[in-house]
Amino acid sequence: MKARDEWIALASVEGVGEETFPALLAAFGSAGAAFDAVRDGRFQAWFAERRAADGRAPMSRPAVDNLRAAAANPGERLEAITELGLWTYTALDFDYPARLRDLPNPPFVIHGLGDKSTFQGSRHVGVVGTRRPTPQGRALTTNVCARLVECAATIVSGLAVGIDGAAHAATLEHGGTAIGVIGGGHHFPGPRAHIRLRDEVVASGGAVISEHHPDSHPTKGTFPRRNRIIAALSDAVIVIEAPHKSGALNTANHALALDRQVFVAPGRIGDWSTAGALALLRETPARPLVGLDELVADLGYFDSPVATVVMQGDAPPSREAALAMLGATERVVARRLCAGPCGLDLLVTDTGESPAVVSSAVTLLLMRGWAHAVGPAYVAAGPLAA
Amino acid sequence: MLATLTTAVINGLRGELIRVEIDVAPGLPVCHIVGLPDAALSEARERVRGAIRNSGFEYPMSRITVNLAPADRRKHGAAYDLAIAIGILVASGQIRRGGGAWALLGELSLAGTVEPVPGVLPMVATLARQGYRRVIVPAANELEARLVAGVEVHGVEGLDDAARLVAGPRGRTAGKAVRRSAVEVSGPRPAAAVARGTTALTARLAPIDLGEVRGQHQARWALEIALAGGHNLLFVGPPGAGKTLLARAIPGLLPPLDDEEALEVTVIESVAGLLDSGSLERGLRRERPFRAPHHTSSYAALVGGGPLLQPGEATLAHRGVLFLDELAEFDRLTLDALRQPIEEGVLTIARASGRVRYPARFQLIAAMNPCRCGYFNDQQRRCTCKTGEPEKYVRRVSGPLLDRLDMQIEMARVPPQVLLKGPMPESSATVRRRILAARHVALTRNGGQPNAHLPGTKVLAACAMERPALRALENFAAHHHMSARSVHRVMRVARTIADLAGRASVSAQDVNAAGSLRDPALPTADALAA
Repeated sequence: MKARDEWIALASVEGVGEETFPALLAAFGSAGAAFDAVRDGRFQAWFAERRAADGRAPMSRPAVDNLRAAAANPGERLEAITELGLWTYTALDFDYPARLRDLPNPPFVIHGLGDKSTFQGSRHVGVVGTRRPTPQGRALTTNVCARLVECAATIVSGLAVGIDGAAHAATLEHGGTAIGVIGGGHHFPGPRAHIRLRDEVVASGGAVISEHHPDSHPTKGTFPRRNRIIAALSDAVIVIEAPHKSGALNTANHALALDRQVFVAPGRIGDWSTAGALALLRETPARPLVGLDELVADLGYFDSPVATVVMQGDAPPSREAALAMLGATERVVARRLCAGPCGLDLLVTDTGESPAVVSSAVTLLLMRGWAHAVGPAYVAAGPLAA
Repeated sequence: MLATLTTAVINGLRGELIRVEIDVAPGLPVCHIVGLPDAALSEARERVRGAIRNSGFEYPMSRITVNLAPADRRKHGAAYDLAIAIGILVASGQIRRGGGAWALLGELSLAGTVEPVPGVLPMVATLARQGYRRVIVPAANELEARLVAGVEVHGVEGLDDAARLVAGPRGRTAGKAVRRSAVEVSGPRPAAAVARGTTALTARLAPIDLGEVRGQHQARWALEIALAGGHNLLFVGPPGAGKTLLARAIPGLLPPLDDEEALEVTVIESVAGLLDSGSLERGLRRERPFRAPHHTSSYAALVGGGPLLQPGEATLAHRGVLFLDELAEFDRLTLDALRQPIEEGVLTIARASGRVRYPARFQLIAAMNPCRCGYFNDQQRRCTCKTGEPEKYVRRVSGPLLDRLDMQIEMARVPPQVLLKGPMPESSATVRRRILAARHVALTRNGGQPNAHLPGTKVLAACAMERPALRALENFAAHHHMSARSVHRVMRVARTIADLAGRASVSAQDVNAAGSLRDPALPTADALAA
């Protein structure tokens, strides 16, 4: 058995993690040697010695059992990986995603589906947020991802429901590349509703990765650890909506610790949906996300090949030019939407037109793609959102 | 002696003739009722005995056999009581018939009073068709029976009145033939208690004027379109958005029934025992039905059925509006059973006890929350449902049923600035005038059909669209990958919008406005919603 395979087998033993894995390597020299030690009894001696020295066992009882089982047949742990058609990076590999090496504790292995070259790209942006977004949060996610895809950026997120799912879906819809980092093994790729989304991410040239053995269940603790990978893989992280204690805040803190840029979509004061995001702005060097153009400028993505093509061909009209292209009632409605999302009721009240006229105008704006319906409200999109 | 009489029974919404034969013969004093009677009918012998004794007649101490023909039909209810009692009196020689031929309907009390029965209108209509010219009915059902032309109707208060009518001026009745009055321990019966079958279902939805509903312009407008064109409508929104409030305005906006519809509705209410005799003084019932069954209603209550194959709410809402509040809370099987009547306008109920077809051409107006907690997609309040629960909640209403709701709109709670500052809303009277006018135009053009029932082959001609409108429809259909059925639906709604605006042909604006009224804003899986 090759040293690399032994490394993978040892890293995939449940219970051998961030502390134990390096401890075993340090004690026995290599993963293969560690397995040998388990088989010939030296492990037992090391275990007793450590317990005496530290006052506590270096490994839990089930972890030791798992390790014994793996040592008896290290190849078995690998079978599940090959069965799913996963490729694996180990921290030993020269092509291991370079961004991950910024982490103080880079994952020992990364199992993945999809295109490995995705990690070599120069523009990676993480888009994260709450599992329960508001309609506006969803719409903003869609707009942000669409713009980043235009700049040829790869979008990194967590394949969870809510903002994560919206980010992946918007990326795919606009022909972009996505990386999904899941919190469990590949047998548990997140919510069942997202299995199709996972497949589409892979099919469209992206990748879905996990640091866990395919059989390991996601637990409460694995998601914050997953977040550090999202943060590390991204050059910048955008937090769309984060209530108090949101996992997105954890991702943002990881990103700040790694010196990544963090942008936070600010919310209204007092809104539950953005309370955590506002706290992040107050307490950390994270910057507010004030507009798509400003975001692209701050990221330094002016020269994106896609953007250049767009500039040469038919450039998207500016907001004023776009408004000038509209019919009279459409323009009135569009102007109102530019001022902020609102439902048909407010549109009727504020424009003074009849519901029939306003509805007709809204339908036309929706069909142009210059507005989105989010729940009962409409949100400006396309050139109107610029 | 043998006596035969004619009475009637209800089967579905039609009356059927029943011949009652009574034989009073020497023998042990017993009374047998044969001819498949149910429990209520078997108990008739006790009521009849009491009524005869308390009306001043003798109950014969002989062997009495009552046969109800045709013998193979199962018979239920108490409408035969009067016929059986009169038959016994004739067969025992206490009345000599001198008043010509009479058909009789009515339930008896022990005191000898004649109590109202359901279904008098269709039963009398059947008797008239079969050539019976004179009918005795309970006094409380007299107005209802008089709606049938060509029949002499006599309402009677008691068995003694009926006996005198049957005896006629030339016949005679034995004994005093005077009702003994009961000792009224609880005092006389209040008038309100006499009317049967008043239902509490709609009491919660006391009618209001549309002028009381502030904001919700889109929902008000959608309701106006729905009522003018007969389109099915679904309101989705958080609690307190005003869904039920708008529904309460529906009765004040509905157009009156025409003659044919009024007869159908009156027959149904007669069979269901819902006719309030007071309302019939001006003839048939003219108000369009508005039924709002509670979401805990059983299958039988909504669709019809039960041991007597009674009509359900769907049939009671025939030619009117069936309002289902909290649509997703209804039993799923029950809701899916409504698909047949929505498409065909009839309900077929087949059970062990028989098979009936009830008309059920109702307009469905429904309301529901977007999720269990009600605040999915709400801008101010947080949805407290667990992940995936909103989608599951909405899936309780099956796709085919949702597809039959022509208009689906999502309502938000009314923002305070609209609630306080908005323009004074229009009153029901103003809106109703527009609805009546638009409906009149539509019925005239479509040959008596509201726009919602226009067949696919006729919609295009009815819309009379010009080039820009056609192009708008093409664009819209292509943009949303619409099926032929959906395109027709948009055209029907657009036709009604144009009718309300008084336009002869459907404009591009009408098409686009109609397009906005089917907003599938229900919770969906993330990948699709984003």
